[in-house]
Amino acid sequence: MSKGIKVALAGNPNVGKTTLLNHAAKTNLKVGNWAGVTVEKKEGYLNYKGYEIHFIDLPGVYTLEPISEDEWIAYNFIAEEKPDVIVNVIETTNAERDLLLTTELLEFGIPMIIALNMSDEASRMGIEVDAKHTSELLDVRVVRTNGRNGDGVQELLDKIIECADQPTSPKKIMYSEQVEASLAALQDIDPNGAPDKRALLARLTDGNGENLEKQKLEKFFKKDIKSVIKDERYAFAHGFYNEVFRRKKNGARDITDRIDKVVLHPIFGFIIFLFVIFMLFKISFDFSTPFMDWTEGLINNLFAPLVLSLLSNVGAGKWLPEFFSQAIVGGVGFVITFVPLIGMIYFLLAILEMSGYMPRIAFIMDRFMHKLGLHGKGMIPLLLGFGCNVPAVMATRTLENKRDKLLVMAMIPFMSCPARLVVFSFFAVLFFVHPAVIIFGLYILGIAIGLLTAFFLRKTAYRGSLSHFVMELPPYRIPRLRTVLQIVWVQVKSFLYRAGTVIFAASVVIWILLNTPPNIKNQSDSAAAYVGKAITPVLAPIGIKDWRISTSLIPAFLAREIVLSSMGTIYSVDIQNKNTDFHFLPELENQLKQLGLATRDGFESLVTPGLQSMQIEEGNQGLRNVIRSSFTAASALSFMIFLLLYTSCLATVAVMAREGGKKFAFFFLAYSFAIAWSVAFIVYHIGMLI
Amino acid sequence: MVSLKEIFSKTDDKGSVTKETGRLSEGKKTLKELKVGETAQIVGFTKQSETVQKVEAMGLRPGKKIRIMQKLGRGILVKTSNSRIVITSDVAKNIEVK
Ligand SMILES: Nc1nc2c(ncn2[C@@H]2O[C@H](COP(=O)(O)OP(=O)(O)O)[C@@H](O)[C@H]2O)c(=O)[nH]1
Ligand SMILES: [Mg+2]
Repeated sequence: MSKGIKVALAGNPNVGKTTLLNHAAKTNLKVGNWAGVTVEKKEGYLNYKGYEIHFIDLPGVYTLEPISEDEWIAYNFIAEEKPDVIVNVIETTNAERDLLLTTELLEFGIPMIIALNMSDEASRMGIEVDAKHTSELLDVRVVRTNGRNGDGVQELLDKIIECADQPTSPKKIMYSEQVEASLAALQDIDPNGAPDKRALLARLTDGNGENLEKQKLEKFFKKDIKSVIKDERYAFAHGFYNEVFRRKKNGARDITDRIDKVVLHPIFGFIIFLFVIFMLFKISFDFSTPFMDWTEGLINNLFAPLVLSLLSNVGAGKWLPEFFSQAIVGGVGFVITFVPLIGMIYFLLAILEMSGYMPRIAFIMDRFMHKLGLHGKGMIPLLLGFGCNVPAVMATRTLENKRDKLLVMAMIPFMSCPARLVVFSFFAVLFFVHPAVIIFGLYILGIAIGLLTAFFLRKTAYRGSLSHFVMELPPYRIPRLRTVLQIVWVQVKSFLYRAGTVIFAASVVIWILLNTPPNIKNQSDSAAAYVGKAITPVLAPIGIKDWRISTSLIPAFLAREIVLSSMGTIYSVDIQNKNTDFHFLPELENQLKQLGLATRDGFESLVTPGLQSMQIEEGNQGLRNVIRSSFTAASALSFMIFLLLYTSCLATVAVMAREGGKKFAFFFLAYSFAIAWSVAFIVYHIGMLI
Repeated sequence: MVSLKEIFSKTDDKGSVTKETGRLSEGKKTLKELKVGETAQIVGFTKQSETVQKVEAMGLRPGKKIRIMQKLGRGILVKTSNSRIVITSDVAKNIEVK
């Protein structure tokens, strides 16, 4: 029978807790080089030497005096759920700061392991730690770890098991004579009660009622008791640091300061920022375009014909091949062609996050955002919003003030995510000469509406919010390709998962509705058309008059990319199946050759200056042509704007309801619909005049 | 070898360093007034608040040596030991330095 061990990972933000857990339990949890990546309790399990180790990864905290929501989560877990073992992860290069939390954790009396992480950086900087001395002084186990390559993780696991087998309470810190005397006096009053130092301290600092010891100490130190205790903890951490940490003089100099001289320069810093954003766009479009072409070819020229010929060989009737080419290839397959674009965006965003540049953007941009009434730290959730609105809404937990939090939350859904980009990249190429300009404009429009929303809210409901802020900037770290690819894979997997589940289901439902009632001559007599036509009056003023588009918009509330799969399903009915010869092997060979060409084109695009126009040349021309027939440039633009601004994403609405309340989420949804409709209306009518 | 108790009595950072000065005394400077590249030592805080608590826990403690790395708008990048912390000027004006 295996024994369970509950292990909490506790430590300051950005010290490598999640990284160590990913090594230990083979999890793929999100890491990043900035404070505030982990904002909820995350878990990992591992069976090791007959034990079932249950890890709880906590949000980072500097001290157990919680202010923001993520800090409360960490505090509540340690104080109330009593893990069997605490692994206190310390950034060795920043240990003096980290040791404050350590002194607080020691008082819980829970068996503790100190993981001296970032040992690679510490040895580079010439920082040495007397691990043995630490362990003897505090009665804790100590292990050096390196989250970059996993060194020490095995040893950490062994020590966790030791801790569970022979649990030893760590030593508690010793306060000054005066405080210790008062604690002893309290113990004497009630020898049977609270033997625990934490409880005694709580009683000492307790504000109400007769508390002679407290009064005595406050008189002696001439300050309030909480400050006395806190200052002594700091003093202890400081003294302890000097006792066991040594810094050799000849350690390498930190390059972060030198990079920051340029990157955070008042003028160059801003130019670099603009350049980074431009490159983000350029690389994600130009590099992924050839691969999207290739994926499209792979699906339409290899996969689809292969399945169709198999189906005809086994003598499948009429409806199965039809279902396959319309719902599967037309719907799901269509969305899958965008995987290279999605993957590339997440790749670049992960590099931004892992390098340490992200919080610096918040610092650089605060000058401007502040003028608009925005919170510097609130920039980080907004930036995350370009990756996915859901974790961005979660990230508002690090904001100390409820109003700031709701304000930022009301802006996030206007930050355009890759799901929207997928739709834009399809329509912009189809209807505009300079698709990149249109797409860029849409991003800017989203940001502008977000700012207006914030401005409006600040003048009305959230007056007086927007406080000062404090934020840590991490050292620059070279992202590890493996970690970056892991992050990309998690995102791509979830996209593919959606393709295989909701998108698939939506396509099937649409296909069935298209063919209901059975044997209809004209598609526009189908149930699908009926549903679409019912909401057309609402959408007609913004230029969406075709039932096929309004029908597609309904399931798109689940996730925006469904609008494409639904259109794919509906429109592919109109496409005549071309009956070309299909030979598997030559086609396979051709596809491999195409992949080589795509790779060459992708890398070539990286060295071409400027943004290419992301023309998707061949492939599914049929679908493009039929879709082109139901839009004009003006209605296509209005359609994209509508989809940009309207919170057509169930996951975002759900997380907003959880983090900000149901009422907030509902009002926001209605607001976003109204604003989306109005802007689209204006743009459509202006567009018609031109 | 030292004991836990000795560590406390040996340290130079005695509890008494936190001082809530209440009002800034004559001729004293705040962190806000420091220029880029200047170094200083933190003396205390003129006002207690949750933010000050957090700033302290992040390492900006009385007695600590600091260097101003950059100032952008209201944001001030302060380096102490090995950490870099951005604080806004309305926090910095409550931190007394010398
Ligand atoms: N050089 C180095 N970097 C590390 C080490 N451990 C973690 N990191 C990096 O430090 C950053 C923070 O890691 P993360 O696990 O997200 O920290 P958490 O906030 O404590 O969970 C990431 O960029 C990691 O890649 C280490 O031992 N050495
Ligand atoms: Mg984490």
